[in-house]
Amino acid sequence: MAMVSRFAFFLLWISVLSSTTHSELVISRIDRRVDLSSHIVRALFSMKVENVGSKVVSEVLLAFPNMQAKNLAAIKTLYNEGRGKVKASSVSLPTAVVEPEGMPPELTFYSVSLPKGLEKGGTVSLDVLAVFAHSLQPFPEEITQADGQLVVYQDSAYYLSPYTVKVQTLGIRLPGGRVESYTKFPNAKLVDSEITYGPFENLPAFSYSPVIVHFENNYPFAVAHELVREIEISHWGNVQITEHYNLVHGGAKTKGGFSRLDYQARSSVRGASSFSHLIFRLPPRAHSIYYRDEIGNISTSHFWGDSRKTQLEIEPRFPIFGGWKTSFTIGYGLPLQDFLFKVDGKRMLNITFGSPMDEVIVDNLIVKVVLPEGSNGISASVPFPTKQGEEIKYSHLDIVGRPVLVLEKSNVVPEHNLYFQVYYHFNNLSLLGEPMMLISGFFLLFVACIVYMHTDMSISKSSASYLAKIQLEEVQATVQQIQNIINQCLAVHDKLDASLRDLSRTGDVQSCKIARKTADAQLKELVKELKPLVTFLHHSPQASHIWPKVEELVAKEKDMQEKMFLRHSTVVDCFEKKLGGREIENRVASQQQKLAALRQEVDDLLEFLDEI
Amino acid sequence: MAPKPVTSPVPVQWYPALSALLLVGGLFFTAFFFIYEATSSTRNRSLAKEVVIAAVASTFLGFGSLFLLLATGVYV
Repeated sequence: MAMVSRFAFFLLWISVLSSTTHSELVISRIDRRVDLSSHIVRALFSMKVENVGSKVVSEVLLAFPNMQAKNLAAIKTLYNEGRGKVKASSVSLPTAVVEPEGMPPELTFYSVSLPKGLEKGGTVSLDVLAVFAHSLQPFPEEITQADGQLVVYQDSAYYLSPYTVKVQTLGIRLPGGRVESYTKFPNAKLVDSEITYGPFENLPAFSYSPVIVHFENNYPFAVAHELVREIEISHWGNVQITEHYNLVHGGAKTKGGFSRLDYQARSSVRGASSFSHLIFRLPPRAHSIYYRDEIGNISTSHFWGDSRKTQLEIEPRFPIFGGWKTSFTIGYGLPLQDFLFKVDGKRMLNITFGSPMDEVIVDNLIVKVVLPEGSNGISASVPFPTKQGEEIKYSHLDIVGRPVLVLEKSNVVPEHNLYFQVYYHFNNLSLLGEPMMLISGFFLLFVACIVYMHTDMSISKSSASYLAKIQLEEVQATVQQIQNIINQCLAVHDKLDASLRDLSRTGDVQSCKIARKTADAQLKELVKELKPLVTFLHHSPQASHIWPKVEELVAKEKDMQEKMFLRHSTVVDCFEKKLGGREIENRVASQQQKLAALRQEVDDLLEFLDEI
Repeated sequence: MAPKPVTSPVPVQWYPALSALLLVGGLFFTAFFFIYEATSSTRNRSLAKEVVIAAVASTFLGFGSLFLLLATGVYV
């Protein structure tokens, strides 16, 4: 009844307006095709507009009843430049809501701006695609598991326009199931699941004739109440997308119990209105895909991929009947170079806006673009109006947090799955922030170790044991130093040995003498260093047990030095006397043996001290 | 200016190998550091040497663990 009274009101308005409107434009022909095969209603108007007035017109008004306009998710106008059948390039024209004066408040008007003014007598061809969400009303509103889903669609048989329409037709495509009823007036024909109305000729402006179609539609009515898409950019080579779905079956509510047995046995009949799988068309080269909900991974998913696309088919944990809800999260990684570009010194992210899911209506879509830490000068270019905001997100290895661009849009249909761009400035040096944090973390660990090893933690600084420990440490340090010096001495000995070998090869006595002189100086220096250490050790009571060994070591080393020099001078003498190689060997053979024995002893002693 | 694709500073395929190499290097220097701490006596220990070894070890470990994170899919 309410509907009837509303129409009556409409007709009243129309009768008032038709007498007052003096428009310059006339629609010479309009073909409307409404596609009802899914749960998203797509209406395509191909119209030819003619200017019959005297003034140049630059905009065309499109009228929708408020009832329809509130569900209008997307509207796009294409302008065909070519004449007749040759459709050259089609240009998308700006289409925006306007509120012209003197028009009924029950209508919402969209204005299409023409690229150039329409002269008197000129015509222009326009293709308008209007996409409506939630326009199929389930009737009955509650069905059982076994019932098919019947829905009602309402429209007008005549094109509701502020202009006079000369010729018009309306075609409604149905999904092909049962058609319960449809308005037969005026001039309706049902052929092969397509209802046609018209053609109608010469109708005045604001003509309206309600049409109601009641038919079966078991298409998955997937509606996401809320979808949060998080696009996280890492300049280390990844764009991570995480999508949180809050999905509901938007069709007729289910009543009565759910029988798993019936469903399992004959799911095509006993569950026709439900859906059990969803298809996602992801960009190519998507990797690391996961599908989970609050309680963990959901294993029922299938995945295909080739070089042009990636397809993911997921099954929710249970079949979704009318009114049932499910929520889940899918996530996937994309290669950075496919989506991030450098333009004029700025970084540009170029990625699709909407959900990759097939034929889903998203009531509230929130796209969060998480930019790397240190980005600034953020701006977005989206091909349709969105609510924009910014926030901060703290993630792995962040100090100041990552800037997040939040884009919000309601009533999103697959037609909104367009590329949008986010521009920002980013300095590549900021990439080093994360490794620097890790490095400083590890470095702090090492510093803690160093500090621990360097601090004296004892409480009583005067106790006997403490003092003893200090002294022991001192002794240890001294022994280490002595060992060091002895090792250096041994290195000098080796050098001296090498000089002798050089001598036997080259016969250069002079350089051998120089080598001896430097060795002598070095050893003297070392012995000088050694002296105070040895004295300290001798007087230290803590060192009594190792003192004999140290003393022996020092003595042996001294002995070794003497023998070394002796041998050296012998060999050099022999060379100066130009004696044969064999004779030299004979002369130094005994010294050589002694030296080797001493060296062995010294090494043994050093090893022994090491073990202490 | 035409848009130029932005790529990662290091090819993504290198991450696992790079992480293994750097972590092995880092653990080697860490071992060297702790051996030095444990064997040298308090008086003979040189602070500069300790700090240098610690810095080298932590650089290796830091980059190694970064690439480990990246290789396992935690894109920081």
